[in-house]
Amino acid sequence: MALNPAKVGAVYPTYRYEVAREKIREYATALGESDPRYTAEGDDCVAPPTFVAAFTITRGATDLFADPELGAHPALVHGSQRFVWHGRPLRPGDVLACTPRIASITARGRNEFLVIELDCVHEGSGEPALTAETTIVFLGSAPQDGAGEAAA
Amino acid sequence: MSLAVGDVLDPVTQQSSLVTSVMYAAASGDYNPLHYDPEFAGQVSPTGGPIAHGMYSMGLTSRMLAAAAGGPEGVLELQVRFSKPWPLGATATFSGTVTAVEDGVATVEVGGELEDGTRILTGTARIRA
Repeated sequence: MALNPAKVGAVYPTYRYEVAREKIREYATALGESDPRYTAEGDDCVAPPTFVAAFTITRGATDLFADPELGAHPALVHGSQRFVWHGRPLRPGDVLACTPRIASITARGRNEFLVIELDCVHEGSGEPALTAETTIVFLGSAPQDGAGEAAA
Repeated sequence: MSLAVGDVLDPVTQQSSLVTSVMYAAASGDYNPLHYDPEFAGQVSPTGGPIAHGMYSMGLTSRMLAAAAGGPEGVLELQVRFSKPWPLGATATFSGTVTAVEDGVATVEVGGELEDGTRILTGTARIRA
Protein backbone atom coordinates (compact mmCIF):
# COMPACT_ATOMS: atom_id res chain seq x y z
CA MET A 1 0.00 0.00 0.00
CA ALA A 2 1.27 3.45 -0.91
CA LEU A 3 1.88 6.24 1.60
CA ASN A 4 -0.94 8.75 1.96
CA PRO A 5 0.06 12.02 0.23
CA ALA A 6 -2.63 13.90 2.20
CA LYS A 7 -0.33 13.62 5.24
CA VAL A 8 2.21 16.07 3.79
CA GLY A 9 2.39 18.99 6.22
CA ALA A 10 1.10 16.94 9.16
CA VAL A 11 2.71 17.92 12.47
CA TYR A 12 3.14 15.29 15.21
CA PRO A 13 3.26 15.89 18.99
CA THR A 14 6.34 17.58 20.45
CA TYR A 15 8.48 15.27 22.59
CA ARG A 16 11.19 16.02 25.18
CA TYR A 17 14.73 14.73 25.31
CA GLU A 18 17.12 15.29 28.19
CA VAL A 19 20.83 15.04 27.37
CA ALA A 20 22.76 12.83 29.83
CA ARG A 21 26.51 12.78 30.35
CA GLU A 22 26.81 8.98 30.24
CA LYS A 23 24.77 8.85 27.01
CA ILE A 24 27.21 11.29 25.40
CA ARG A 25 30.09 9.09 26.57
CA GLU A 26 28.43 5.97 25.19
CA TYR A 27 27.80 7.62 21.82
CA ALA A 28 31.33 9.03 21.54
CA THR A 29 32.79 5.62 22.43
CA ALA A 30 30.74 3.92 19.71
CA LEU A 31 32.27 6.29 17.13
CA GLY A 32 35.83 5.89 18.46
CA GLU A 33 35.98 9.61 19.28
CA SER A 34 39.10 10.95 20.99
CA ASP A 35 38.11 14.55 21.89
CA PRO A 36 38.47 14.51 25.72
CA ARG A 37 35.52 16.87 26.14
CA TYR A 38 33.13 14.09 25.07
CA THR A 39 34.08 12.11 28.17
CA ALA A 40 34.81 15.02 30.53
CA GLU A 41 33.49 14.90 34.10
CA GLY A 42 33.08 18.67 34.44
CA ASP A 43 31.26 21.59 32.84
CA ASP A 44 33.38 21.35 29.70
CA CYS A 45 31.57 18.17 28.57
CA VAL A 46 29.95 18.52 25.13
CA ALA A 47 28.36 16.08 22.68
CA PRO A 48 29.72 15.07 19.25
CA PRO A 49 27.70 16.55 16.35
CA THR A 50 25.79 13.40 15.38
CA PHE A 51 24.95 12.57 19.01
CA VAL A 52 21.62 14.11 17.98
CA ALA A 53 20.93 10.86 16.09
CA ALA A 54 20.13 9.30 19.48
CA PHE A 55 16.87 11.26 19.73
CA THR A 56 16.04 12.31 16.18
CA ILE A 57 16.14 9.36 13.77
CA THR A 58 14.19 6.56 15.45
CA ARG A 59 12.31 8.65 18.03
CA GLY A 60 11.43 11.32 15.49
CA ALA A 61 9.71 8.76 13.27
CA THR A 62 7.91 6.76 15.98
CA ASP A 63 4.64 8.68 16.01
CA LEU A 64 4.52 8.93 12.21
CA PHE A 65 5.01 5.20 11.79
CA ALA A 66 2.25 4.54 14.34
CA ASP A 67 -0.17 6.78 12.44
CA PRO A 68 -2.54 4.39 10.59
CA GLU A 69 -3.46 7.19 8.14
CA LEU A 70 0.13 7.48 6.87
CA GLY A 71 0.52 3.87 5.75
CA ALA A 72 4.16 3.33 6.74
CA HIS A 73 5.43 -0.26 6.35
CA PRO A 74 8.53 -2.13 7.48
CA ALA A 75 10.28 -2.48 4.09
CA LEU A 76 12.36 0.67 4.43
CA VAL A 77 15.89 2.01 4.40
CA HIS A 78 17.44 5.26 5.60
CA GLY A 79 18.08 7.10 2.33
CA SER A 80 19.67 10.36 3.36
CA GLN A 81 20.12 12.63 6.33
CA ARG A 82 20.73 16.31 6.95
CA PHE A 83 21.50 18.06 10.22
CA VAL A 84 21.83 21.79 10.75
CA TRP A 85 23.27 22.71 14.15
CA HIS A 86 22.08 26.18 15.13
CA GLY A 87 24.08 27.00 18.22
CA ARG A 88 26.56 25.55 20.66
CA PRO A 89 27.12 21.79 21.00
CA LEU A 90 24.71 19.99 23.32
CA ARG A 91 25.73 19.56 26.97
CA PRO A 92 24.61 17.30 29.82
CA GLY A 93 21.39 18.64 31.31
CA ASP A 94 20.14 20.28 28.11
CA VAL A 95 16.43 19.61 27.60
CA LEU A 96 15.16 19.72 24.05
CA ALA A 97 11.64 19.99 22.67
CA CYS A 98 11.40 18.28 19.27
CA THR A 99 8.52 18.57 16.80
CA PRO A 100 8.28 16.24 13.76
CA ARG A 101 6.56 17.29 10.56
CA ILE A 102 6.07 15.49 7.24
CA ALA A 103 7.83 17.69 4.70
CA SER A 104 7.18 15.65 1.57
CA ILE A 105 6.14 12.31 0.09
CA THR A 106 7.34 11.52 -3.42
CA ALA A 107 7.66 8.44 -5.62
CA ARG A 108 10.50 7.39 -7.88
CA GLY A 109 10.24 4.10 -9.72
CA ARG A 110 8.79 1.52 -7.34
CA ASN A 111 9.95 3.33 -4.20
CA GLU A 112 8.52 6.14 -2.10
CA PHE A 113 10.51 8.85 -0.33
CA LEU A 114 9.23 10.24 2.96
CA VAL A 115 11.00 13.36 4.26
CA ILE A 116 10.58 14.08 7.96
CA GLU A 117 11.61 17.51 9.18
CA LEU A 118 12.33 17.70 12.89
CA ASP A 119 12.77 20.99 14.68
CA CYS A 120 14.46 20.87 18.10
CA VAL A 121 14.65 23.86 20.43
CA HIS A 122 15.97 24.30 23.97
CA GLU A 123 13.01 23.91 26.31
CA GLY A 124 12.24 27.06 28.22
CA SER A 125 14.34 29.52 26.23
CA GLY A 126 13.04 28.34 22.86
CA GLU A 127 16.54 28.87 21.48
CA PRO A 128 16.98 26.83 18.25
CA ALA A 129 19.22 23.78 18.73
CA LEU A 130 19.04 21.81 15.51
CA THR A 131 17.03 20.88 12.47
CA ALA A 132 17.06 17.29 11.23
CA GLU A 133 15.80 16.24 7.81
CA THR A 134 15.44 12.48 7.50
CA THR A 135 14.62 10.75 4.21
CA ILE A 136 13.16 7.27 4.57
CA VAL A 137 12.86 5.16 1.43
CA PHE A 138 9.88 2.80 1.43
CA LEU A 139 10.65 -0.05 -0.92
CA GLY A 140 8.21 -1.28 -3.54
CA SER A 141 5.07 0.58 -2.45
CA ALA A 142 4.92 3.38 -5.03
CA PRO A 143 1.70 3.53 -7.04
CA GLN A 144 2.35 1.96 -10.47
CA ASP A 145 0.86 2.82 -13.83
CA GLY A 146 -2.31 0.85 -14.32
CA ALA A 147 -2.75 0.46 -10.58
CA GLY A 148 -5.57 2.98 -10.53
CA GLU A 149 -6.12 6.70 -10.42
CA ALA A 150 -3.59 7.18 -7.65
CA ALA A 151 -0.86 6.78 -10.26
CA ALA A 152 -2.04 9.78 -12.26
CA MET B 1 43.73 26.27 12.02
CA SER B 2 42.62 27.73 8.75
CA LEU B 3 41.08 25.95 5.79
CA ALA B 4 41.50 26.89 2.13
CA VAL B 5 40.00 25.68 -1.14
CA GLY B 6 41.58 22.40 -2.19
CA ASP B 7 42.51 21.32 1.35
CA VAL B 8 42.05 17.60 1.98
CA LEU B 9 40.93 16.69 5.52
CA ASP B 10 42.61 13.94 7.53
CA PRO B 11 40.54 10.88 6.59
CA VAL B 12 38.92 8.42 9.01
CA THR B 13 39.28 4.70 8.23
CA GLN B 14 37.21 2.08 10.02
CA GLN B 15 36.42 -1.60 9.65
CA SER B 16 32.81 -2.39 10.55
CA SER B 17 32.01 -5.50 12.59
CA LEU B 18 29.26 -7.03 14.73
CA VAL B 19 30.85 -5.23 17.68
CA THR B 20 30.83 -1.77 16.04
CA SER B 21 27.25 -2.39 14.92
CA VAL B 22 25.97 -3.49 18.33
CA MET B 23 27.73 -0.57 20.01
CA TYR B 24 26.21 1.89 17.55
CA ALA B 25 22.75 0.31 17.92
CA ALA B 26 22.87 0.81 21.68
CA ALA B 27 24.32 4.31 21.46
CA SER B 28 21.82 5.52 18.87
CA GLY B 29 18.76 3.53 19.93
CA ASP B 30 18.36 2.06 16.43
CA TYR B 31 17.88 -1.67 17.04
CA ASN B 32 16.95 -2.69 13.50
CA PRO B 33 18.23 -6.32 13.37
CA LEU B 34 19.39 -5.71 9.80
CA HIS B 35 22.52 -4.30 11.44
CA TYR B 36 23.53 -7.25 13.64
CA ASP B 37 21.31 -10.34 13.17
CA PRO B 38 22.73 -12.52 10.36
CA GLU B 39 19.57 -14.63 10.08
CA PHE B 40 17.25 -11.62 9.75
CA ALA B 41 19.68 -9.79 7.47
CA GLY B 42 19.94 -12.89 5.29
CA GLN B 43 16.29 -12.45 4.36
CA VAL B 44 16.12 -8.68 3.79
CA SER B 45 19.62 -7.26 3.30
CA PRO B 46 20.65 -6.15 -0.19
CA THR B 47 24.05 -7.77 0.48
CA GLY B 48 22.64 -10.96 2.03
CA GLY B 49 24.20 -10.16 5.41
CA PRO B 50 24.25 -7.52 8.15
CA ILE B 51 25.15 -3.98 7.11
CA ALA B 52 26.34 -1.01 9.17
CA HIS B 53 23.90 1.74 10.20
CA GLY B 54 23.89 4.59 7.72
CA MET B 55 24.15 6.86 10.74
CA TYR B 56 27.37 5.10 11.81
CA SER B 57 28.97 6.16 8.52
CA MET B 58 27.60 9.69 8.98
CA GLY B 59 28.96 9.74 12.53
CA LEU B 60 32.44 8.79 11.35
CA THR B 61 32.20 11.53 8.72
CA SER B 62 31.32 14.05 11.41
CA ARG B 63 34.29 12.82 13.51
CA MET B 64 36.56 13.79 10.62
CA LEU B 65 34.81 17.16 10.24
CA ALA B 66 34.97 18.04 13.95
CA ALA B 67 38.69 17.25 14.01
CA ALA B 68 39.24 19.62 11.07
CA ALA B 69 37.00 22.35 12.48
CA GLY B 70 38.59 22.47 15.94
CA GLY B 71 35.73 20.68 17.70
CA PRO B 72 32.01 19.96 17.43
CA GLU B 73 31.13 23.68 17.65
CA GLY B 74 32.80 24.12 14.26
CA VAL B 75 30.44 21.71 12.49
CA LEU B 76 27.46 23.74 11.22
CA GLU B 77 25.70 21.47 8.74
CA LEU B 78 26.08 18.01 7.26
CA GLN B 79 23.97 16.43 4.57
CA VAL B 80 24.67 12.90 3.30
CA ARG B 81 23.11 10.26 1.10
CA PHE B 82 23.62 6.60 1.94
CA SER B 83 24.32 5.52 -1.62
CA LYS B 84 25.31 1.85 -1.10
CA PRO B 85 25.23 -0.55 1.85
CA TRP B 86 28.33 -1.04 4.04
CA PRO B 87 28.62 -4.80 4.74
CA LEU B 88 29.97 -5.74 8.18
CA GLY B 89 33.61 -6.76 7.89
CA ALA B 90 34.40 -4.26 5.14
CA THR B 91 36.74 -1.32 5.73
CA ALA B 92 35.57 2.17 4.78
CA THR B 93 37.49 5.41 4.45
CA PHE B 94 35.75 8.76 4.96
CA SER B 95 37.31 11.75 3.28
CA GLY B 96 36.63 15.41 2.61
CA THR B 97 37.85 18.17 0.31
CA VAL B 98 37.28 21.90 0.80
CA THR B 99 35.54 23.30 -2.30
CA ALA B 100 34.73 26.85 -1.14
CA VAL B 101 35.46 29.24 1.73
CA GLU B 102 33.28 32.25 2.40
CA ASP B 103 32.86 34.43 5.49
CA GLY B 104 34.87 32.02 7.60
CA VAL B 105 32.79 28.99 6.59
CA ALA B 106 34.22 26.17 4.46
CA THR B 107 32.10 23.98 2.19
CA VAL B 108 33.42 20.41 2.24
CA GLU B 109 32.49 17.66 -0.20
CA VAL B 110 32.53 14.42 1.78
CA GLY B 111 32.54 10.78 0.75
CA GLY B 112 32.82 7.28 2.16
CA GLU B 113 34.41 4.52 0.12
CA LEU B 114 35.06 0.82 0.61
CA GLU B 115 38.39 -0.73 -0.37
CA ASP B 116 36.90 -2.07 -3.61
CA GLY B 117 35.92 1.48 -4.59
CA THR B 118 32.21 1.20 -3.72
CA ARG B 119 30.92 4.60 -2.66
CA ILE B 120 28.71 4.12 0.40
CA LEU B 121 28.22 7.77 1.36
CA THR B 122 28.28 11.06 -0.44
CA GLY B 123 27.47 14.52 0.83
CA THR B 124 28.27 18.10 1.70
CA ALA B 125 29.20 19.85 4.93
CA ARG B 126 29.65 23.40 6.17
CA ILE B 127 32.30 23.83 8.84
CA ARG B 128 34.16 26.78 10.41
CA ALA B 129 37.23 27.50 8.33
